[in-house]
Amino acid sequence: MHLIHVWWDGAGDGPTNMAADELLAAESLRLDALLVRIYGWEPTTISLGAFQKLDDATAVAEIRGVPLVRRPSGGGAIVHGSDLTYAAAVPKTHPWGASPQVLYDALHAAMAEALREQGIQAVLWRPPGSPAPAAASTAGDDSFFCFDRRASGDLVVHEQAAAAGGRGHKIMGSAQRRLEGAVLQHGSLLVRRNGTLAGRACHPGVSDLCASRPTADLEPQPLLERWLQLVAQTLEADVLSQPGEFRGLHSRNLDDHAARFRDAGWIGRR
Amino acid sequence: MAAEMRFAKSHEWVRPEPSGLATVGVSAYAVEALTDLVFMQLPAVGRRVKAGESFGEIESVKAVSDLYSPVSGEIVEVNAALPNALETLGKDPYNAGWIIRIRPDDPKELDTLLDQSAYDALLKSQPH
Repeated sequence: MHLIHVWWDGAGDGPTNMAADELLAAESLRLDALLVRIYGWEPTTISLGAFQKLDDATAVAEIRGVPLVRRPSGGGAIVHGSDLTYAAAVPKTHPWGASPQVLYDALHAAMAEALREQGIQAVLWRPPGSPAPAAASTAGDDSFFCFDRRASGDLVVHEQAAAAGGRGHKIMGSAQRRLEGAVLQHGSLLVRRNGTLAGRACHPGVSDLCASRPTADLEPQPLLERWLQLVAQTLEADVLSQPGEFRGLHSRNLDDHAARFRDAGWIGRR
Repeated sequence: MAAEMRFAKSHEWVRPEPSGLATVGVSAYAVEALTDLVFMQLPAVGRRVKAGESFGEIESVKAVSDLYSPVSGEIVEVNAALPNALETLGKDPYNAGWIIRIRPDDPKELDTLLDQSAYDALLKSQPH
């Protein structure tokens, strides 16, 4: 029987969160299990993908002045503050560790099911003409924001789909860093529009897109708990919710690791 | 594939050349697992690396992966055309898709890596 260790962390700043997630990947090797850390952001922060150009961020007027952090994982930029963020880590020897798509699809399919139970018809996006996930060629693009991109396995809803060019609105995306022995996956479920930003930086969330539904006002904690139950069912695992915060457990190492993510060389690496 | 090619468990291959250099790339399995590649960062020529140390990074639509040097030595050449032609890694990973050339500190270090049959066995043991 597999175990899924879960930590419920409060809000933290970008560098501290990224450092905690790298430590989570190392911890997954020690525990030889799937680990999940759920956390928030304070203040509102833009996280850039590992190789996004800093110049592309500074060119977006709507996010000027918002703190930036660069993730170790790939993908596009995310505005954190009105989303639910998770980090998941597994050893590469784990059944979900060998292939990027397997972990991606497993966590997203469970969230799709959890949302459907609340009457929200979320589906995994597939490139047109690619019925088999393993063979799907992705239709990723280089849009600056994650929620403007589409890749196989992204979670979309088709409410008000015409406004999204028929591709559906992306509500959840994830990206990975494949380390030497472990995989770190970052993911974000967009709950609602971020009220502090406008224009390109403001994407509709589940609650905005499904506002006419009685269940549209998402309660994050029950949704996430159900998501984890469904993940555990798929993996035939037990969920082990940890009593304290992951950041608290690793506070001695956290500042040293966070320094790398505060460093101008890392933020401006590209 | 040349019989003398060796593999790291992290899926890089290394091939000794008659010149004494060692050519390094990533296996077809690794390229296929990463799916659509979008960016690659190569190391600087002249950099020294240790076996198992990251020498570069490669990004696919969903994942960023480190590239690990199978042997210790000095990087003497990089395939500078590759970042602008990442499809080459999928089409010809063992020849045109080479990534770096290293002057190994100790050529015998290659003997500690997996041969073709051992690497094939590793792939069979991977979770699917």
